[in-house]
Amino acid sequence: MSDAVIIEAVRSPGGRYKRGGLSQTRSDAYGIQVIKGLMARVPELDPADVDDVIVGCSFPEAEQGMNLARIIAMGAGLPISVSGMVVNRFCSSGVQAIADATAKVRAGWSDVIIAGGCETMSHIPMGGAAMRPNPDWKFDGSMPNVYINMGNTAENVATNHNISREDQDKFGVESNRRAFEAIKAGKFKEEIIPIEAFKYKVKNGKRIRETVVFNEDDGVRWPTTIEDLGKLKSPFKAGGVVTAGNASQMTDGAAFSLVMSAEKAKALKLKPLAKLTHYAVAGVMAEEMGVGPAYAIPKVLKLAGLTTKDIDLFEINEAFASQAIYSCRVVGIEDRYWAGDINPNGGAIALGHPLGCTGAKLTAQLLHEMKRRGVKRGIVSMCIGGGMGAAAIYEML
Amino acid sequence: MSLEIKKAAVLGAGVMGATIAAHLTNAGIECYLLDIIPFELTDADKKKGLTEKSPAWRNRFAANGLAGITKSKPASFFTKKNASMVKIGNFEDNLDWLADVDWICEVVIENLKIKQELFAKVEKIVKPTCIVSTNTSGIPIKDISAKFSANLKKHFLGTHFFNPPRYMKLMEIIPGAETDPAIVDFMIKFSEQRLGKGVVVCKDSPNFVGNRIGVFDMSSATRLMLDKKLKVDEVDAIVSKAIGRPGTALFGTMDLVGLDTGSHVAKNLYDAVPDDESRETFSAAPFLEKMLANKWLGNKTKQGYYKKVKDDKGKTVKMMLDIDTMEYVPAGKPKFDSLAEAKKKEDIRASMKAVFNGQDKAGDFVREYFCKNFIYSANRVGEICDDIMSIDNAMKWGYNHQLGPFESWDAVGVKEAVDVMKKLKLKVPQKVEEMLKKGCDSFYTTKPDGKYAYDFAKKGYVKIEENPRIIILPALKERNKLVKGNASASLIDIGDGVVCLEFHTKMNAIDDGMTQMIHEACDIVEKDFVGMVTGNHAANYSAGANVFQVLTGAQLGQWDMIEKGVENLQNGNMRMKYLSKPVVSAPAGMALGGGCEMAMHAARCLPNGETYMGLVEVGVGVIPAGGGCKEILLRLTEGIPDGVVENGLNMQYYMAKAFENIAMAKVSTSAAEAMELGYIRKSETINMSRDQQIYEAKQLVLSLVMNNYRPPKPAMIPVMGENFRGFVEGVIMNMRYGNFMSDYDLLVSRKVAHILSGGDCAEGTYVSEQEILDLEKEAFVSLCGEKKTQERIMYMLSNGKPLRN
Repeated sequence: MSDAVIIEAVRSPGGRYKRGGLSQTRSDAYGIQVIKGLMARVPELDPADVDDVIVGCSFPEAEQGMNLARIIAMGAGLPISVSGMVVNRFCSSGVQAIADATAKVRAGWSDVIIAGGCETMSHIPMGGAAMRPNPDWKFDGSMPNVYINMGNTAENVATNHNISREDQDKFGVESNRRAFEAIKAGKFKEEIIPIEAFKYKVKNGKRIRETVVFNEDDGVRWPTTIEDLGKLKSPFKAGGVVTAGNASQMTDGAAFSLVMSAEKAKALKLKPLAKLTHYAVAGVMAEEMGVGPAYAIPKVLKLAGLTTKDIDLFEINEAFASQAIYSCRVVGIEDRYWAGDINPNGGAIALGHPLGCTGAKLTAQLLHEMKRRGVKRGIVSMCIGGGMGAAAIYEML
Repeated sequence: MSLEIKKAAVLGAGVMGATIAAHLTNAGIECYLLDIIPFELTDADKKKGLTEKSPAWRNRFAANGLAGITKSKPASFFTKKNASMVKIGNFEDNLDWLADVDWICEVVIENLKIKQELFAKVEKIVKPTCIVSTNTSGIPIKDISAKFSANLKKHFLGTHFFNPPRYMKLMEIIPGAETDPAIVDFMIKFSEQRLGKGVVVCKDSPNFVGNRIGVFDMSSATRLMLDKKLKVDEVDAIVSKAIGRPGTALFGTMDLVGLDTGSHVAKNLYDAVPDDESRETFSAAPFLEKMLANKWLGNKTKQGYYKKVKDDKGKTVKMMLDIDTMEYVPAGKPKFDSLAEAKKKEDIRASMKAVFNGQDKAGDFVREYFCKNFIYSANRVGEICDDIMSIDNAMKWGYNHQLGPFESWDAVGVKEAVDVMKKLKLKVPQKVEEMLKKGCDSFYTTKPDGKYAYDFAKKGYVKIEENPRIIILPALKERNKLVKGNASASLIDIGDGVVCLEFHTKMNAIDDGMTQMIHEACDIVEKDFVGMVTGNHAANYSAGANVFQVLTGAQLGQWDMIEKGVENLQNGNMRMKYLSKPVVSAPAGMALGGGCEMAMHAARCLPNGETYMGLVEVGVGVIPAGGGCKEILLRLTEGIPDGVVENGLNMQYYMAKAFENIAMAKVSTSAAEAMELGYIRKSETINMSRDQQIYEAKQLVLSLVMNNYRPPKPAMIPVMGENFRGFVEGVIMNMRYGNFMSDYDLLVSRKVAHILSGGDCAEGTYVSEQEILDLEKEAFVSLCGEKKTQERIMYMLSNGKPLRN
């Protein structure tokens, strides 16, 4: 069995919902640019050698429909021999794509795969443009509530597991602070592919499409204080605790990794960055889907025969502060958040959570931070709508 | 000369200017809103990177005005979308815009020199036909226009709006000596028909009519309080609804207006009327000076005559100013025998009379207060306006008095009041003595050919000119134009072959008598008339079904009766809709529940701008069953082009809108909003003048008749079937989860979803109107059997607001 390695992991900046840098750009358009940017960083690779493009996407419809993977592969100028496939496991789709690519390469079925995720939340509503819950579904508790609103699941986690509003808001402020500092220090520059984004304008009475370069995450809200966040109300529950200040932002973005066999990398004289060693997914109650990482992280550690002590760095998706805090607590690593080993450069509360892209985005963030720190092992984990958790272990090479 | 106002400009973007601009957009008129540029760049401006060249800085005052009207409560705009019809600018950069406007209304600061300087600039730019007016409330028109060219003088007049312009009916029009009479006539008609105002033509005298009499009224009451040693709360208990005054009474109104504004107007008046026999009334009492010095200006400074404080338990307590000690003390609810007596009277005239004749402190106060007002008003006729109606109308439309001074005088008895005046040693106006001597013992009288008013100059009754555009239903009834009627509704012949179906129950709630009249009206119209209007003069078109009848039926288990009642309403509405003669509904005020349904089941609708429409049935635990669900489904989907549903149109957004309207009981705050919600078709015209609404509705009937009216084709409605129920379940289950809905809300919502889904069918099926009506009926009857629905109805009947259970 050949080993699968990651040569490079890149991402677009995260653009704020409706008002951000990507809000007027189609997701296929920036998906194409991220793949082009990735290929440009590996000039040794002949595009014809890419076997497949796997794209994670949570709502593969409208501009993301018609097999987005095939479309952006062709749009990025890859030859017609390169295939494309969309995978969807909601919020873990991006890392799922990298895991699937890794498995295919390890099985010897492919040599080179581009894998990651791409999502526009500005253009496609959560739930999809045509949401059709099954009218025969029972919502009386006899069947899992697979259609539940994500905010309500976060409220459930907070209520059922005593995660206080104050802890959540504190976490929200910290996420923004870290992201602000990271951007100021230019930490994301290496992993970001600048995007030529569309902006529609009226110029001299004529409507025109302009192109502007978008190269920095634009969702960070800093300065922010606990007092500021304390004033926000929950849109999900009367008197609830989950607010816009302690929940992830809706965001647009794309992120991809180049996965290839160790032999191919050697042949091309490429220095691998890292490899995905293990990946696990765990099912949990839909009504508190946010607990996912609390099950997925132990599961993947058991698979690898490791403990949290063996992990140097974590990227745990901040879908909601309540579930992120809870998951860290259960896994026993809450103190490591405050020590800076978890989401050191801020999380989705500040940088956004572009659903199907997130797993690949966090992979890019994790691998580049591990490189900066010179550490060995890291985990990317997240909760997943419908009641799941996913976790992947990466090892630097 | 054909005059028309398509585009206007308002100069001055303070509260008054901006709200006038908003109301012009309500009338469909595009509007420029200009003001001065700020005096200097502040540090905050510089920090933001603004310079003296930045439009954001230069247009700041106008921008603030626009922001204010976008947020104001009550709303200035019929719909926030109107804001795009207001273009902001400033006097330095944008005066050239005035070249293409048809009307300029100046509302800048009350300073003669500033107004004159501005007009001097404006005069150079405007087109020669442009109508130019000032909204001044105190500066003489002749002074402002002194230096105008002859042409501008011809086109210049005073147009004095009352605050807030959208809601206050009064518009004072003050022609200058040289104003072209054609312009005056045009502006009267324009103000009435397009802006929906009630016009009072005033002479160019200080404070015109409303504020001359109004300021006297308020100043006089304040002085009387001091003379009679009454407290603030006592006076407000007396100067109340019992004598036809607004609910905010005297001092509450002053707090609302602002004491600074009020005393400014009074002071101006004092200076402007050296020969006024009651001039001293306008000078400020010492306690008022103190209040002004303390900045106790009313609601805007959170304290004036009243102040709200929180007690130890956090409960809000209303405090009032003790004017002797100048300290705030708890306000009470003073009781007076004469007021209690007045409350028993149904008619305002009888109520006024009861207080006026009262043998207690309230009676004592009101006698003197009324008599002084009567005398002052009588003395002003000829000086500030030509007739008594102008003063009565100004006080009703500009000060929300239920009756004007002369109408009030009639109510208490002209002779009786004169006797009281003599007892109080007040100087009775000679012209009134003369009038009584001639045997004219009331100011107004009705003769077979119409209403008459006493004219002091002509020393006799003069017929009040009837506006042919104003149809008054009670007057027609008096003239034997009633075609058919019962206790709940009347069918009245309004001429030219058109009848008006008038409702007249309490709140115009729909009862069996009303539905019966709908059926009878349809029979009669079909046979003998060319068409029908449904409308009335009441505050509300109809507040919905009489839920008391429904509750009684439910409690007695008379399901057949309830079902029959629903069928009758449905069939009545469907008959109106498919009648061979056109029916035009003319809703105004509240058109809720069944009232909304009736208004929707007409060939056309001619709503008044102030129409508050909605299907609010869920508030009492039922669903719209008079065709409301059906009609909203129909209206929201009828614009879908043929073939589009078949091609897979995702109808969830259309259906979700219908569901939200009903499940959240959405009520429009204007006719324009009712169009946005889908209750009224966007192709309809909005009536602005409530007085002329029935006339306009009648004209609409006639125009349909002229164009060979044919009833509509029976509709087929596209639905989403079971998939819609799944969709709604996904939404409401989350709302239940978040505690935004109760279990019972969930149950009622599911019924709504079931109706709107069209029943057990596939997405994209077309269903008939009757199928939806049957689903409505089934859901309605089943909900009536639910205990919690009955509780909701009972709670609404006893508390007047919905119960959440």
